[in-house]
Amino acid sequence: MKEAKIVTRDLTLHYGLKMALNSINLHIPEKEVTAFIGPSGCGKSTFLRCLNRMNDLIPSVHIKGEILIDGLDIYQKKIDVVNLRKKIGMVFQKSNPFAKSIFENVAYGPKINGISDKKKLTEIVESSLKNAAIWDEVKDRMHDSALGLSGGQQQRLCIARTLAVEPEIILMDEPASALDPISTGKIEELIFELKKKYTIVIVTHNMQQAARVSDHTAFFYLGELIEFGKTRKIFTAPDIKQTEEYITGRFG
Amino acid sequence: MERHFELELQKLNRRVIKMGNLVAFQVHNAFDALLRGDVELAEQIIENDRKVDKLDTKIDKLCQRIFALTQPVATDLRLIMSSLKMNNDLERMGDHAVTIAQKSEGVSEYRDIIDELHIDELVKMTDMIVNDVITILNTRNTAFVKDIFDLAQAIEEKAQGISAKIIEEMMHKTEVIVVATNLIVIITAIERLAGYSTNIAESIVFIVDGRIMKHKKKNFESPAGTSASVTETPAEPAPDQTGDPTSEATPSEG
Repeated sequence: MKEAKIVTRDLTLHYGLKMALNSINLHIPEKEVTAFIGPSGCGKSTFLRCLNRMNDLIPSVHIKGEILIDGLDIYQKKIDVVNLRKKIGMVFQKSNPFAKSIFENVAYGPKINGISDKKKLTEIVESSLKNAAIWDEVKDRMHDSALGLSGGQQQRLCIARTLAVEPEIILMDEPASALDPISTGKIEELIFELKKKYTIVIVTHNMQQAARVSDHTAFFYLGELIEFGKTRKIFTAPDIKQTEEYITGRFG
Repeated sequence: MERHFELELQKLNRRVIKMGNLVAFQVHNAFDALLRGDVELAEQIIENDRKVDKLDTKIDKLCQRIFALTQPVATDLRLIMSSLKMNNDLERMGDHAVTIAQKSEGVSEYRDIIDELHIDELVKMTDMIVNDVITILNTRNTAFVKDIFDLAQAIEEKAQGISAKIIEEMMHKTEVIVVATNLIVIITAIERLAGYSTNIAESIVFIVDGRIMKHKKKNFESPAGTSASVTETPAEPAPDQTGDPTSEATPSEG
């Protein structure tokens, strides 16, 4: 296994009195794809949102334990959350482009980070769109509204928008669940390409997708991390019976 | 929760067991034909091979369908992969039974040579390994797999010893060349039956716990606390050699 980019130590999370994550210890390797799987309510999305401190926005959330990214605890008081989220991009289930042009959507992040040079911005937008495998489809209509793109294109535009601020980690919360098979295939191919440069963590309900795109798989159930291992092992001979029952559909 | 393709997996399992019983029956009869010089029985075995081939195709098609429609993983994946492989091994065993049956006609006049070479002992050991492996196929009890590997090794050594004696005999008596050649083909087929039996035992280990035993048989360790011979304590009755090998517990077949 490659060196860990993200390490969690005894990470426990409560929503008010309800425990949503129970003492999670996990090493997420650098520049690989790690998939989180598990039934609804198992804590996988909650755990994902801990990784860029998105749960800070929910008042009833209490977190114990540590999350280290490159060895640094991201829940330390001195951590600048805005900078943290620049380093850790996120792609959501439903694509959410701004009601702006395609160009402006991608240029938005670099602009608020202080880049104003038009030539530099154009370069960033082009390379981000190319890396998100959507450049050829939009290069002739950069100033059209992003809302006119198809669902699959909008999702890849959102990935381009994430890439534009040069993150190191990309979190994906069911990025293809609302897409048709062709668009899903494109997103999956894109994930495969992106892992050469980025550490990717993906939450998915689609077992075949987890099997296809990820190097490592973590199975969550009732707030516990049940099993973590190489995807090729988890999907051929998992060690834990609960994992086997879940991935083969015998669960419940 | 009942999964809709559970029935398909059960059907596959039944068909592979049916194939195992059918092939074990063919092998047993081929040995009878050889040792008793029963030409009529030999012809019946050759005729019955059609049933083996037909079932082989049915199992292949069923595996193909389950792969295409259900994207199996973990234990389901291992079962289907292994079923394909075991089906192939069993079909080849059926072919070897036919070879033995065909060649037994050519050696039926030479009882004295067969007795002198103690081929009956080799046949007994091989009949046992085939039955043992079919029992494991039924019970999935991998505690006895080590016994299968050991028995296969003993069969191989005995077969090589017999072959060496035949070759020596051929060198001194040119008049036995024809029968000796037939006997070598038979001995080779018997040796291969033991080889395919170990392949099937390996596949069963893979189904049960995901271990790949191919090329690693020497390191195989049975689950703790088990060393008895499979034939002594089968969890379910061994296939009935005298009954109809093609019968299934569940009659419905798609």
